[in-house]
Amino acid sequence: MELPAIVSRAGGALLSTLQHVRLPGVGQASVTDDPATAARRWRAVTVLRTGEEVGALPPPLERFGDRIEVRTEPAPGDRGTELAARFRGTPSEAEIGELRAALREAKQLLEVGEVLRVEPQPHGVRKPTPQGAALEGMTERAPKEGVL
Amino acid sequence: MKAATWAGVNEIAVEDVPEPTILNDRDVILKIRQSVTCGSDLHLVGGYIPFMRAGDVMGHEFIGEVVEVGREVRDRKVGDRVVVAPFAACGSCWYCRQELYSLCDNGNPDPGITEGLWGQSPGGCFGYSHAMGGYAGSHAEYMRVPYADVGTFVVPEAIPDTRAVFASDAASTGWMGADLAGTKPGDVVAVWGAGGVGQMAARAAMLLGAEQVVVVDRVPERLQQVREHIGAEAVDYTSTDVVAELRERTGGRGPDVCIEAVGMEAHAPGAPGIYD
Repeated sequence: MELPAIVSRAGGALLSTLQHVRLPGVGQASVTDDPATAARRWRAVTVLRTGEEVGALPPPLERFGDRIEVRTEPAPGDRGTELAARFRGTPSEAEIGELRAALREAKQLLEVGEVLRVEPQPHGVRKPTPQGAALEGMTERAPKEGVL
Repeated sequence: MKAATWAGVNEIAVEDVPEPTILNDRDVILKIRQSVTCGSDLHLVGGYIPFMRAGDVMGHEFIGEVVEVGREVRDRKVGDRVVVAPFAACGSCWYCRQELYSLCDNGNPDPGITEGLWGQSPGGCFGYSHAMGGYAGSHAEYMRVPYADVGTFVVPEAIPDTRAVFASDAASTGWMGADLAGTKPGDVVAVWGAGGVGQMAARAAMLLGAEQVVVVDRVPERLQQVREHIGAEAVDYTSTDVVAELRERTGGRGPDVCIEAVGMEAHAPGAPGIYD
């Protein structure tokens, strides 16, 4: 593997660990889930649509077939519908990332009608720097990462 | 087309870049008429927000003319002169329905970065790093604006570009500061920072009925602008003890409302500066 690809992958990995970074002796924070517990958690978005509009299985989730279980329930305070999904069995980190991205896409399709795109777009010369490669790894993984 | 790009820490370039295209049905393409350098661009230039990629087009405070519209754009047409909010907001999610547009759930295509950092993602902001969506900004001849029916506003013919452009950010941000602080008639308001946003915050406080508005800064030209153009009082903290001055002016009570409009690169001298 070439160096830029290694740095880019490291940048993506950094993103996935950011929310779990703890400095011993500095401040107070919640413990974090062990990987098995984290994998079993429901990933969820709240969609400002009725349960009927959300349906049982919005299109971006269809491709997972019976590998996932999906549930919907009304969100409190007229906030729409909670749409949650998780894998049956033990998914890989990559699969969880795909599910997170699919949930976000489902929310956009239901609320807006299309998935927002940002590429391709104008830019100048991309200097081949380690920081740039790391950032490209982060942005590639950003739709699949985060708190879901 | 020509565009001003971030080329590295404290390094700006003017480059030839491709023209933008319609990517989503609710997009418009604008021919930029004016694009302002916001004080918050300095966070990017100085490297304080480490999510810029060399070649990124900067700029988020701007006015332009619509030259192309997507298939689902309903309320804008080619030829409209529009001032644009810096944040990409869908108008359909719960946050947008509460008029909390900068928190839009569907405006940031890279939510994992800020969710990882802060636990939740704000909306996307034009020309403001990949943490905020990675959108190309307005320091360019042309620009793509998504969700155009929500975030663009047609400017009345009688208002020139140079007055309208600040509705994009400085004026609206200043107003928000005064409004969030609950400024009401009779209040004494102190504003720290006499830059664009600070001056707009002071003016907003006056429009909201403040009895007395005092702006604190050290740059003589800015303090003069406060006196001449805003009509507020100006205090130079390099020659005046600000706390003593404000207590004296307010019968010992201190201001009813304090607005911080300085920004994160300001540093106090001594121990507080080290803490900053």
